[in-house]
Amino acid sequence: MLSPERLALPDYEYLAQRHVLTYMEDAVCQLLENKEDINQYGIARFFTEYFNSVCQGTHVLFREFSFIQATPHNRASFLRAFWRCFRTVGKNGDLLTMKEYHCLLQLLCPDFPLELTQKAARIVLMDDAMDCLMSFSDFLFAFQIQFYYSEFLESVAAIYQDLLSGKNPNTVIVPTSSSGQHRQRPALGEASLLEGVEASLFYQRLENLWDRHKYSCPPPALVKEVLSNVQRLTFYGFLVALSRHHGINQALGALPDKGDLMHDPAMDEELERLLAQVPGLVNSVTANPEASYLSSRTPPRVASPWRPLHHTRKVDAESDGSTEETDESET
Amino acid sequence: MIPGKYRSVSGRAANNVNCGLHLVIQTSSLPEKSKVEFRLNKETSSFPGRLLQHDLERNYSSRQGDHVNLVSSSMSSFPILQRSSEEKILYSDRLTLERQKLTVCPIIDGEEHLRLLNFQHNFITRIQNISNLQRLIFLDLYDNQIEEISGLSTLRSLRVLLLGKNRIRKISNLETLKSLDVLDLHGNQITKIENVNHLCDLRVLNLARNLLGHVDNLKGLDSLAELNLRHNQITFVRDVDNLPCLQRLFLSFNNISSFDSVSCLAESTSLSDISFDGNPIAQESWYKHTVLQNMTQLRQLDMKRVTEEERRMASVVAKKEEEKKRESHKQSLLKEKKRLTINNVARKWDLQQNRVVNTLTSQDGKDSDSPSQDTPQIEGSAVSTFTEETGSVDSGLTVTDTHLVEVDGDTLSLYGSGALESLDRNWSAQTAGMVTTVSFTFIEFDEIVQVLPKLKLKFPNSLHLKFKETNLVMLQQFNALAQLRRVDQLTIDPQGNPVVNFTLWKYYVLFRLSHFSMQKINGTEVTQNDMIMAERLFGILAHVASSELPPYRMISILGDARKKQFRYLLETKGKKPGIISEENNDSRRLTGENTNRATLNYTTREFYNEKLEEIKEKNKFCKMYIEDLVKEATEINMKNEALHKLWPQMFIELVRDAVIEIRNKNSYMKLCLQQITDQK
Repeated sequence: MLSPERLALPDYEYLAQRHVLTYMEDAVCQLLENKEDINQYGIARFFTEYFNSVCQGTHVLFREFSFIQATPHNRASFLRAFWRCFRTVGKNGDLLTMKEYHCLLQLLCPDFPLELTQKAARIVLMDDAMDCLMSFSDFLFAFQIQFYYSEFLESVAAIYQDLLSGKNPNTVIVPTSSSGQHRQRPALGEASLLEGVEASLFYQRLENLWDRHKYSCPPPALVKEVLSNVQRLTFYGFLVALSRHHGINQALGALPDKGDLMHDPAMDEELERLLAQVPGLVNSVTANPEASYLSSRTPPRVASPWRPLHHTRKVDAESDGSTEETDESET
Repeated sequence: MIPGKYRSVSGRAANNVNCGLHLVIQTSSLPEKSKVEFRLNKETSSFPGRLLQHDLERNYSSRQGDHVNLVSSSMSSFPILQRSSEEKILYSDRLTLERQKLTVCPIIDGEEHLRLLNFQHNFITRIQNISNLQRLIFLDLYDNQIEEISGLSTLRSLRVLLLGKNRIRKISNLETLKSLDVLDLHGNQITKIENVNHLCDLRVLNLARNLLGHVDNLKGLDSLAELNLRHNQITFVRDVDNLPCLQRLFLSFNNISSFDSVSCLAESTSLSDISFDGNPIAQESWYKHTVLQNMTQLRQLDMKRVTEEERRMASVVAKKEEEKKRESHKQSLLKEKKRLTINNVARKWDLQQNRVVNTLTSQDGKDSDSPSQDTPQIEGSAVSTFTEETGSVDSGLTVTDTHLVEVDGDTLSLYGSGALESLDRNWSAQTAGMVTTVSFTFIEFDEIVQVLPKLKLKFPNSLHLKFKETNLVMLQQFNALAQLRRVDQLTIDPQGNPVVNFTLWKYYVLFRLSHFSMQKINGTEVTQNDMIMAERLFGILAHVASSELPPYRMISILGDARKKQFRYLLETKGKKPGIISEENNDSRRLTGENTNRATLNYTTREFYNEKLEEIKEKNKFCKMYIEDLVKEATEINMKNEALHKLWPQMFIELVRDAVIEIRNKNSYMKLCLQQITDQK
């Protein structure tokens, strides 16, 4: 706790690095908004609930975009929430358009910007035929990269443009606004005979970013791995490679591996119960007999290195016969 | 004087011993005359009729007419007629030459007093040689082969001219016959009525069995009382209202198909007898009463007396027809107005949408955190000229330039956003109760959301909602419908509602509005499988939205929704607080909504932006507050750390000071005692 590193940082910077202030401000803001209701059960209680939800990642549900974007933890929580809520859509096998995915995003965050979704779709579709249908997993992983590392990607885009047009490598690269990515790409036929840029050169440029960037970046080692596999690469090729890299996904820690994307036994169990309640349903859908024996205490065995590890499942008020006791008392 | 009564001309004219002639106009084809026994002279002083017509020297054993002597003259080709002087004296004014096989008119000498001349049933082709008979009043040329009316110019006294059953093609050369009383031209080939306008004494005109296509050019026939036009090809009749004395008009067996073609008859006040049988018009269902209604002066129709009963019926039916026509006219006017209004509203809507698109493209370049775009204000809102509401408030149709409200039995249709205000009107319980379908067109969905509570109140039986051109773009918008009491059917027209293009929209609707147990979406029945699929797709969302939200957020979101409803309700006029609380209890009881979905709400863009503004304000304040706290904390922290650093030194100093003080025990004891005494 009292590590010397910690004390080495000046106060504000320390707080900022951990985004403590963001959460404090937000907590006080929420308090203000709901003061009539919260008065009933006390402020301490409120703060407990608030920070619990921050730990569990449920604090981003139905919040405004500015909050969701504010910290990496928020972003990761949002990604996870999106995955959990709409995994069933993916499991069903439906292919949806970009607009429809955006709609689903909006269900969780009403003012989510369309641009982000569009950029994510561009990654999947390789900037081609924006009306194409996309599968859930493709979109989700691309969206993860785009959303979590948005600022990083903007800088990368700027660097890529510069490389393509052959600018001086020593110029200071300032992350431009999103218009950078909309800049017209020089026709590849003109610039070079081969597509894209040389991988090693590209990586050299990127190295600057890790030092300077305040925002989160993918681990350099993994990026190097991605770039070492190819000679040349295009911008979208790079992004696709990022989105498909298992290591980066795990480093992020929000989503399970691609193979396990559709698995979530805890939620499936929940779903079975809900389906059983659909009025007039005669045969219940095949219930997984083993699932009911699973003690809900055991954390899910999915390879999700979700950092706040105890994933206590909040007992649904309706459930009866559940023997688990959670630490925090419910309502 | 020729009396006004006519009977068929038969050879019996001669039987009439009274002075004056009995003449009758044939009204139908003459039955074959079998007998024309015409013996005037009982003393059968039979002169062998040496009839020698130079072109008829055949066997001729027919009867003879009068005892006449037709002597062929050597000078001209015409036979010359001579009568015995006895006969001349007896029948000085009439001469009958029926069935004499005459092919030409003979020269009639010395008969200048002749008043009746009968040439029936001959083969005469031209009217000739009678110019000298200037006293002639009655000329009968029925059943001959005359092709042209001619040779009559000197017969100024002629009153009756019978030219039926000939081959006449044109009415002409009657200019001098100003005293003509009866003109019979039936059974000819006449195609046009002409050259009769000077016959101001004419009382009977028979043009039956000709080739007339229409009737007009009857001006000048100021005495005409009977006009026979049977068996022609007449399609329309004109000019009859110029006949001041016309009483009988026979149009049987022609080609008249509508009353309009004989509309002039309605203007004629003198007509009392008319016939239309054998025309297409007589087959129509409305024939009788239309005729009777338009010609109230009629006494006989188709040779049958018109009874009072018939007249009454006719007027009743006619009135009903009039009503119907007026109604349908009004309806079509109304429909037209509606159509125009709808077009107007549609145009405005398109403009509005286009303008939104324009601002979108201009904003695309900018980076925006809050992507919600406000629909731009319509510049110069259309000046709507308010038309009077048709009928009472309840009549259900309001048409202005900018919007349209229509209640049609069980459907309430609203076009244009201005129409939403109509929900504030006082609708009668009956009208409102009957409405089961509400249809919105050309209205922004966000605006509709705001009036949904009103809709719930005023039209409690509305079970079917239809949306067309309402800009439904997000699945989230369907959340707003959850506040209604119950919806059985939902129709979202693809036109103007992009949300329909999504694969999952129906399932989302079923999921979010599961408590309504909807029967149909866009016309297709909702099956059990659909419900299951909907639950399967979105069930987890509901679970997350309810159980994983921190409790304070649950309360705040739900509270928000209720607060909003309150606001909408409070904004409606004339709301008593008591009712509001009732409403609330009601909604809590009746909604039976799955509470796990209750947090899925929809805030219209405006309100959301408002909220974001508020949040920004609060954020700013919180930020400042926290900053202050942080400052305090860091200051304290700093002081704390500084103290930590300095404390060892300070402590040593303190100890040293103390030790130095008590180094000399004695002096220290004295000092302390002194201090104590000083204190007292």
